[in-house]
Amino acid sequence: MLNIKPIVSSLLRSKSGPILLLMQIILSVAIVANASFIINERLTMMQRDSGIAEQEILTFAIYNFDPSIDATLQNKVDQRILRSLPNVKAAASTNMLPLSGSGWSTTLNLGPDPETAKSTPQVAMYMGTEHTLETFGVTLVEGRNFYADEITDDVNSPNILLLITKALADEVWPNESAVGKTLWAGRDVQVTVIGVVDKMQGAWVDSSDLEYSIIQNVDYSGNSYMVRAEPKHHEALQQQILDALMTENPNRVIDNFQSIAVVKENSYRDHELMVTVLSMMVVLLLLITSLGLTGMVMFNIQRRTKQIGTRRALGATKGDILSLFLTENYIICIVGGLIGGVLAVLLGQQLMQHYDLPQLNLIYPVLTVVGMLLVTTVAVILPARKAANISPAMATRSV
Amino acid sequence: MLTMKNINKVFKTDLVETHALRDFNLSVQEGEFVAVTGPSGSGKTTFLNIAGLLEGFTHGDYFLDGVNISNLNDNKAAAIRNEKIGFIFQGFNLIPDLNLAENVEVPLRYRGFSAKERQRRVKEALEKVGLGARMKHLPSQLSGGQQQRVAIARALAGEPRFLLADEPTGNLDSLMARQVMELLEAINKAGTTIIMVTHDPELARRAQRNIQIVDGQVCDFTLYQGGQNHQVDTMEQAAS
Ligand SMILES: Nc1ncnc2c1ncn2[C@@H]1O[C@H](COP(=O)(O)OP(=O)(O)O)[C@@H](O)[C@H]1O
Ligand SMILES: [Mg+2]
Repeated sequence: MLNIKPIVSSLLRSKSGPILLLMQIILSVAIVANASFIINERLTMMQRDSGIAEQEILTFAIYNFDPSIDATLQNKVDQRILRSLPNVKAAASTNMLPLSGSGWSTTLNLGPDPETAKSTPQVAMYMGTEHTLETFGVTLVEGRNFYADEITDDVNSPNILLLITKALADEVWPNESAVGKTLWAGRDVQVTVIGVVDKMQGAWVDSSDLEYSIIQNVDYSGNSYMVRAEPKHHEALQQQILDALMTENPNRVIDNFQSIAVVKENSYRDHELMVTVLSMMVVLLLLITSLGLTGMVMFNIQRRTKQIGTRRALGATKGDILSLFLTENYIICIVGGLIGGVLAVLLGQQLMQHYDLPQLNLIYPVLTVVGMLLVTTVAVILPARKAANISPAMATRSV
Repeated sequence: MLTMKNINKVFKTDLVETHALRDFNLSVQEGEFVAVTGPSGSGKTTFLNIAGLLEGFTHGDYFLDGVNISNLNDNKAAAIRNEKIGFIFQGFNLIPDLNLAENVEVPLRYRGFSAKERQRRVKEALEKVGLGARMKHLPSQLSGGQQQRVAIARALAGEPRFLLADEPTGNLDSLMARQVMELLEAINKAGTTIIMVTHDPELARRAQRNIQIVDGQVCDFTLYQGGQNHQVDTMEQAAS
């Protein structure tokens, strides 16, 4: 690094080459820093634990067309049949599929007067029975599950009991136990919390209220069913479900078999696409930058063959020539990195204003510059070694 | 100080082998000013390159200051070039993006001198060639003769034992060539051994000793005594 001063002055004196490269590095750092920040945001989002046994839950829909069918009764019969099938750990009907992007939600109040009482955040509202916890695969951390005789078939029943997520409990009653607490759904309807589950996400993966969910004591007779079994049994199970339920009542359509894992994948598809596109962009930018660096060094070696030979004649070792090119490009990279880092922060602020993004974490520009230094090393070292191997005789031989 | 014994240099390309030097023998004493002439392609540059450790040779022995340098590694050769040898090229070979001071400083940096020492030597060397006031100029702002004087300053700044010059006046008009030659003579008088390749017989005559290379071998050499200088002057007076 002992040659920095003359290298800087010669860079300042040379024309377009370093400027173009500098601009390329500035832009790359600004874009790559923000892109990797967004990629990491999305990946973190996609990797959140839903609390639900996504892989094990096989869902499907039953459409009854026969008007003579008593839906409530049929629902109970069907669930009994599902639980009796081989390898089934648990089964339940549901009003909405976790992570599916559609379903029911509500807000409850902490007091009877909707005008004055504090409200809960928006909560996802599952209807379920004493079998639902087992079917979701969620863990009860406080209180108790529903008893069988507490389950009603009527969503408008006044005796509402709730299982709620710990996230919701902590939000509403930060320093006390939620179990036994009362909430109001309007002026007249009181609901009682009887248990708290560890984690159970709702239906909307982009919502900030994703962790706030409740299960209400209703055996809901709709279309959606969930069967929990090891994934390896799903394929066989699908046929067994069809056979058993169609034998019980052939006047219906049963379809749309899929695991919650697949449901989740579909909900996160946009994010996945974003991650893919941005990753490709990052790779492409780094590639273009490294090609630019390699190209410029190769061009410089061509242009400066005689100069390199002269330096060697004047006493430069091969190592001196190598470090000349490395230092030159590290300087461009560091200057570009600093400006690019500032630009990255400005770009991040714009993105934050116009899109729903958190503030750029400063570690990203820093890491990007470090990455850029690595790219520079890789891109420069080979052509620079070629330069170092230029014979000192080039001082007298080349024109 | 320099002895070459049966030096051979063969360039091999895919098609041909060129014997640039064959059984080349030469001894140069400390303090001499040797002018090398010869037809184009006869091996003058090859000889100078080998003498200056810019390239190796196929076989033979080369002693520099009594040390056999036939099998020197690359870094050692670079160090010897840096400390003992000054180079002057036909095309000046200044680095265009560096100013004069920075150009003269190049070998001093490789030598590892302190900033203060470098500064002192750069100033002294540029003053010696009459360009002390132009330290911050770029080479492109100078005439050819001035550029060559900067190159001489660069070669002198490291205080080398001997100076190798390959057609140092080849790109200069006669006035500038004479100035450069006078400078070289002054340097030689101060004790530096000089070997200079030249096409110009008048300049060659001003050296103490002339060597002619033909076909890769030393053909003849004549020892010129002093007192020849006025003849060159009259030649140039006649030309102008
Ligand atoms: N790198 C090289 N590869 C092949 N042949 C070379 C090379 N350098 C010089 N030669 C050949 O060696 C001979 C001597 O060249 P050179 O020493 O440059 O002659 P001079 O300087 O006397 O004109 C010439 O025939 C030239 O073509
Ligand atoms: Mg030549």
